[in-house]
Amino acid sequence: MNLEDLIPTDEICAKYRVESTFVSSLYESGLIEIITVKETQYVHCDEISVFEKLRRLHYELDINLEGLEAIQHLLEQVRQLQQKNLELKNRLNLYE
Amino acid sequence: MDFIDYYKLLELDKSANQADIKKAYRKLARKYHPDLNPNDKEAQLRFQQINEANEVLSDPEKRKKYDQYGKDWQHADAYEEARKQQQASGGRAYTGGGFGGGQSGYSYSGNFDDDTFSDFFEEMFGSGARAHGSGRGRHFKGQDFNAELQLKLSDVYTSHKQTLTVNGRNIRLTIPAGVENGQTIKIKGHGGPGVQGGPKGDLYITFNIINDTKFKREKENLFSNVNLDLYTALLGGEITVDSFGGKVKLKVKPETQTGTKVKLKGKGFPKYKKENQFGDLIITYDVKMPTNLNAREKELFHKLQKLRS
Repeated sequence: MNLEDLIPTDEICAKYRVESTFVSSLYESGLIEIITVKETQYVHCDEISVFEKLRRLHYELDINLEGLEAIQHLLEQVRQLQQKNLELKNRLNLYE
Repeated sequence: MDFIDYYKLLELDKSANQADIKKAYRKLARKYHPDLNPNDKEAQLRFQQINEANEVLSDPEKRKKYDQYGKDWQHADAYEEARKQQQASGGRAYTGGGFGGGQSGYSYSGNFDDDTFSDFFEEMFGSGARAHGSGRGRHFKGQDFNAELQLKLSDVYTSHKQTLTVNGRNIRLTIPAGVENGQTIKIKGHGGPGVQGGPKGDLYITFNIINDTKFKREKENLFSNVNLDLYTALLGGEITVDSFGGKVKLKVKPETQTGTKVKLKGKGFPKYKKENQFGDLIITYDVKMPTNLNAREKELFHKLQKLRS
């Protein structure tokens, strides 16, 4: 894994002004992945958009960790349903 | 922009206090937040309006002007200025605070600073760069762009290059064979410029594929109906059918019924990003009865009928 693609969790906390416990709680809930390299914890840059979304939901909408887990799960279901819906729409063209 | 009744938008009474506004805003933000409504443009628009309403109503000064001037509240300063000039001759001076109208953004009474405001505002309303990295001095990834591309089904049978103009820039890209209607692909590094030397954003292209052929498509499989004359259907024979890649000779089994399906392996559509792999072409036979029978044909059909009964 390229170290350049990893962002230390300390920097994330400083930049987004969140407590380190928030980042570790997201990790413990399986909502984001934390990679440890030489005792430093990092988040992969591809995961930042997920982190930003969870941070917004938590701090802007007052959604707690359990709520974030439920939302993330439901959003994944929405994504799958939207994909399925698209597939079915395309399939429906067969009968039109 | 059309006048929007901010109170109505936040489902509030004009006498609502700051706590009511905050509560109403929270409630509606949870309902229409774009993170909770992916790919819902209507929710996004509504969220923008709610933010605007909150920005104005949660700021006592802006709210006062909004209450006083209604739809013209953004020109309050100009009115005040004109009034001041009028009143200057009478010796009265206006002492109201300045109000910079025109900024429609995200304002929030929670724990936010300028950085957060900017990050959120930019992401929601698509202006400027979005932070992709973090920390002071770190680079930031540029804004992602979204575009829709309309193509004909016949265009996506083979990989081809196409030039797109996105935000005034010409981008030449290869469209892989077999892309699907509604599919979104990511073109890395063709979004907005990065900040502080950060990488460029990405370009997301959603394909809108119009079927300009007689084939119907489901993923990599193609479907078509082929007319079969009665005699070939009954006695069997050889026919030539159209496939996407050209004409194909096909043996028809004797006593083929209408509605019979035949699968031509590998004669379908290219599989997306799988070179030289194709789906199947599924042909449905439609047996056509002869018309305008002459006397001799009728006589022979009667004989056949008698043989069968």
